[in-house]
Amino acid sequence: MNYQPSDFLPIFVQLAAAMGFIVFTMIVTHILGPRRSTKLKDEAFECGIESQGDARTPISIKYFLVAILFVLFDIEIVFMYPWAVNFKQLSWTGFWEMAVFMGLLLAGFVYVIKKGILKWEK
Amino acid sequence: MSSILFIPLLPLIGFLINGLSFPKLSNPVAGIIGTIPPLAAFALSLQLFLQFDGNTQIVPLLDWISVGELSIPIAFQIDQLSLLMLLIITGVGTLIHVYSSAYMSHDEGFGKFFAFLNLFVFFMLLLVMGSGFVTLFIGWEGVGLCSYLLIGFWNKKNSYGDAARKAFIMNRIGDLGFLIGIFLLFQEFGTATYQEVFEAIKAGNGSNLGLIAFCLFIGAMGKSAQIPLFTWLPDAMAGPTPVSALIHAATMVTAGIYMVIRANVLFEMSPEVLHFVGWIGLATALLGAAIGLFQNDIKKVLAYSTVSQLGYMFMGLGASAYTASFFHVMTHAFFKALLFLGAGSVIHAMSDEQDIRKMGGLKSQLPITYITFLLGTIAIAGIPPFAGFFSKDEILAHLYHHDIVMWALAIVGSALTSFYMFRVFIVTFHGDFRGTQHQADHLHESPIAMTLPLIVLAVLSVIGGIINLPAFVGGNEFLAHWLNPILPEGSHEALEVHFASLEFLAPLAAAFIPAIFAIQLYGSKKAVPAADAEISGIQKIIYDKFYIDEAYNFLFVKPIQFLSQFFYSFIDFLIIDLLVESTGKFVKSSSNELRKLQSGNIGFYIFMMVAAIAIILAWTLKSWIF
Amino acid sequence: MTPVIALSLFGIINLFLGFTFKRQSLQVVTLLFIICSMALTAMDWNHEYLWFGDMMKTNNLSINFSLIIQLAGLLVVAFSNGFGKDEVYTQPAEYYAILLFSLVGALLMVSFQNLIMLFVGLEILSVAMYVLTGSDKRNLRSNEAALKYFLMGSFATGFLLFGIALVYGSTRSLYISGILYNLSHTAPESLPSFLYAGIILMGIGLLFKISAAPFHFWTPDVYEGAPTIFTMFMSTVVKTAGFAAIYHILDVTFGGFQKNWIITVYFITIITLILGNISAAYQQSAKRMLAFSSISHAGYMLLTVCANQPSTSSNILYYSLAYTLATAVSFAVLMVVAEYQTGRTEKPENFDALNGLAKNNPSLAFAFTVALLSLAGIPLTAGFWGKFFVFTDMFNKNLTYPIIIAVLMSAVGIYYYFKGIISVYFNSGEIEKIETSFLFKIALWSACIGTLVLGIYPTLLKSIF
Repeated sequence: MNYQPSDFLPIFVQLAAAMGFIVFTMIVTHILGPRRSTKLKDEAFECGIESQGDARTPISIKYFLVAILFVLFDIEIVFMYPWAVNFKQLSWTGFWEMAVFMGLLLAGFVYVIKKGILKWEK
Repeated sequence: MSSILFIPLLPLIGFLINGLSFPKLSNPVAGIIGTIPPLAAFALSLQLFLQFDGNTQIVPLLDWISVGELSIPIAFQIDQLSLLMLLIITGVGTLIHVYSSAYMSHDEGFGKFFAFLNLFVFFMLLLVMGSGFVTLFIGWEGVGLCSYLLIGFWNKKNSYGDAARKAFIMNRIGDLGFLIGIFLLFQEFGTATYQEVFEAIKAGNGSNLGLIAFCLFIGAMGKSAQIPLFTWLPDAMAGPTPVSALIHAATMVTAGIYMVIRANVLFEMSPEVLHFVGWIGLATALLGAAIGLFQNDIKKVLAYSTVSQLGYMFMGLGASAYTASFFHVMTHAFFKALLFLGAGSVIHAMSDEQDIRKMGGLKSQLPITYITFLLGTIAIAGIPPFAGFFSKDEILAHLYHHDIVMWALAIVGSALTSFYMFRVFIVTFHGDFRGTQHQADHLHESPIAMTLPLIVLAVLSVIGGIINLPAFVGGNEFLAHWLNPILPEGSHEALEVHFASLEFLAPLAAAFIPAIFAIQLYGSKKAVPAADAEISGIQKIIYDKFYIDEAYNFLFVKPIQFLSQFFYSFIDFLIIDLLVESTGKFVKSSSNELRKLQSGNIGFYIFMMVAAIAIILAWTLKSWIF
Repeated sequence: MTPVIALSLFGIINLFLGFTFKRQSLQVVTLLFIICSMALTAMDWNHEYLWFGDMMKTNNLSINFSLIIQLAGLLVVAFSNGFGKDEVYTQPAEYYAILLFSLVGALLMVSFQNLIMLFVGLEILSVAMYVLTGSDKRNLRSNEAALKYFLMGSFATGFLLFGIALVYGSTRSLYISGILYNLSHTAPESLPSFLYAGIILMGIGLLFKISAAPFHFWTPDVYEGAPTIFTMFMSTVVKTAGFAAIYHILDVTFGGFQKNWIITVYFITIITLILGNISAAYQQSAKRMLAFSSISHAGYMLLTVCANQPSTSSNILYYSLAYTLATAVSFAVLMVVAEYQTGRTEKPENFDALNGLAKNNPSLAFAFTVALLSLAGIPLTAGFWGKFFVFTDMFNKNLTYPIIIAVLMSAVGIYYYFKGIISVYFNSGEIEKIETSFLFKIALWSACIGTLVLGIYPTLLKSIF
């Protein structure tokens, strides 16, 4: 199939419309909105409560570990969807391949538990 | 097939065991571990010898280097010549190992000594078994190294270390010639294996053969102590006596002769070099014999005698009498090893005294040493029917037909030999004891481990002549027939010798008359060589070895020292300091500048990377961009 | 590709063994694992197999590379001493597992037939290396090094991926065979220009990994910051795998486009040689010197890639092996000496810390000397023949100027390598006898003897390669 440049025209129209809307609203809110600046309002993090201390305090490594483990195991689900959809065509080969995959994942999970990463209090 | 590989491998294993566990093994164990390899190698060689069917056997070991056109294989060649050399090296080597186990028994470095001896045997076997000049050269350098290590074995004494260095440097000069010869061979033939080179020469290929032969002979001059590179050998006597017997009499120093016999095809093509070889041999023989006349150190006498006998061998080669020369190599290995070991036995008994003026009358205390030394003396003097007579006589007979002048001078040398050997013998063993009381109390015959090799070698020195008994006394000339396949055709013609001819009688006279004269002078008249201070006139010149060392010192060492001083003060300053060092400084300062690129700032790193990629892409796609 | 599967499984097993086994026995087990997978690798000798949906191919060349890589892994594990006496802060099970995983990545890089496989292998190797670089958690330098390596490494991977995309876009295939087929069936004029950009970008991604200038800036900082044992791993395994991949991409796949990339690679080679060698000359830290030396050796190996002769692959193999043995030994000696000197001198990895090593540790000093001589390319060591073969190739291709530069730079090399030998033998210092484990000694001596044997008898392996 051969595309002519003119075929891309709707996309450009769409692009221009989207950008135009953003630019338009930004300009308009700047002009229309009232401006009353106070000390509290000029703070970096304005939420009504006075900010305390430094934002860069060390956080327990467990937060990161749990977060990354969640992502890891969560993402694996992504592989399951196409596999489930094509389960019939892939038949037993696909089943064993997925079994190996899940086995590896399970091994990782056991390792994580044995390492005590999920124990919050330690 | 496989047993061939074991012959050099066994001594190497012995070296590794003894070398790696040197201070930990007890002396007897080290001695046994050191002696078994040469003995086993001897047994294997003997088996090979007996089974030999006359065909040259090549055992390829490995392709050492193959780069482009150049290919250097390492292989072993078993033929008539190498088999005999194997027997000599392992046979005499075994005897000397046995001897050393007693001789060195009080030495701290016993295990180290055996390790070095085994290493020497390994390299020597490599030298004679190699199927090409490169393997020969590896062995050649290896034995040089072992010789260096063993001469300087008692390295606590400075002069011994100097002697070792002298031997090494003199050999290096020769080796340089040898190496150039090998390079020329590669240039000429593209290979250095014997068979390929000799076949090419036989087919008439190759030019520059004379030059190649000459370069190779320079190597032989160094290794086999010929004029002008002979002065290291007498100094090499600093090493333990078994070393002198094995390396500096029986085996290593004959490597040069072996090499010339091996390369006879090449040398036959360059008669002028052969001529040169002969005259160098003659000059060395005479000079060595002359210096030997008045030496008072028992080992020095033997050393000069070795130099002179090697000269005889080269004379024989010069007359294309390869069989005769090789015959002399064999008999010389027997009687000279015997004499050295006998001298060692004397030195051992005399608590390390080597000056014959302080000996005398040892025959009653050292009966076995006395008899065996006597047999060795008779053999080297060339008195029939001992081994030395036949081999030397054969060389002389060839010389007679080759060049009558050489022959006459060789007879003179032979007479000198007979004189100085009987002189040493009489002064050492007859007359009154002239040593200290302390030495007299300790006089004893050596243990069986030392006398047994003496007896074996004495027997060989007596009967060794039968290996190549000439036809005119009823022999079958075994050696000549054995070596015939590897020698040039027609090189061995049975020489017609008549009992009543000058040719036959002159050597006999040269052996007997000086001997009787020496016995008269030192035995009956009980003359003792004068002390150093009393020596004068021409005798002093000879005693001081014709001042050759001093001459070399003046001619070569001094100018080199001057030159190096000059280089040190001028060239060194100009070239090294200014040019080289400033290059170094430049590198260093640019290094210092470049170092600053490594700022540790990752932003800069990535910037550099991106900049480089941008430039590279622009360059690659320039034809599309511009 | 059984070793790939085996090594992955071994790695997982190793993780679990860490719960029960002692660290010393873990070391032995890991050694056995690697030996086992080397045996599996060697079993395919003289066979050609396609694996994983034709995405990988094993043949003798890839087996040789795999064996060298695993040998390097073996040496590193043997030298690691089970990660010392620091019981609290080191996790040998994890380290060994990561080492095994990274070996998997390296094996993928030497036998890929599909550009995705190259990318996957490179990433497995690199991510493992980022982790190991930062494994000395309490050391600020180690952390900094890991972050730097990660940032720059991912940057370079981006270029590699971009290059792969461009090549795919112009040849419509990710398979090497498909690329070659399409290239040979398309007229050169009708090939899009971004193909050339793709080749160059892929090359740059890989050149980064082998630390060729000007993509080398990470090397000294990372090598110095990482724990020495992992620096050893990095400089041997990553380099060998990287060169296998570069050879595969530039010489095998895009050898027909040599005129498009050759000038670029030339300049990179020459800059690498000059920068690596000259910067090394001023270093006071032996470890940093070895880092620059690794850059300069990349330059020598690139020379043979430029020459692209039939013997190039065997030259790369020989050079990699020689370099691997020598580098492993020199880092190992440096490591034990630095361990000894920590707390005794301020900078335990400087040349000064090596002073007087020979007095009480003659075997360590000897091994170190042999390794440095080999790196400097002195005859009778494997390094000499490595350089010799490379230069021979260059001569055959009539590339005179690069040789002149390379030879001059080797002369500079002798200067800084001998600095190590001088401090070991001639400078005076107080180093007591350093105790090393049995495995350490075995590995040290076998690498040392290997260097000498290959130096005396190069044909031994040259005939196989």
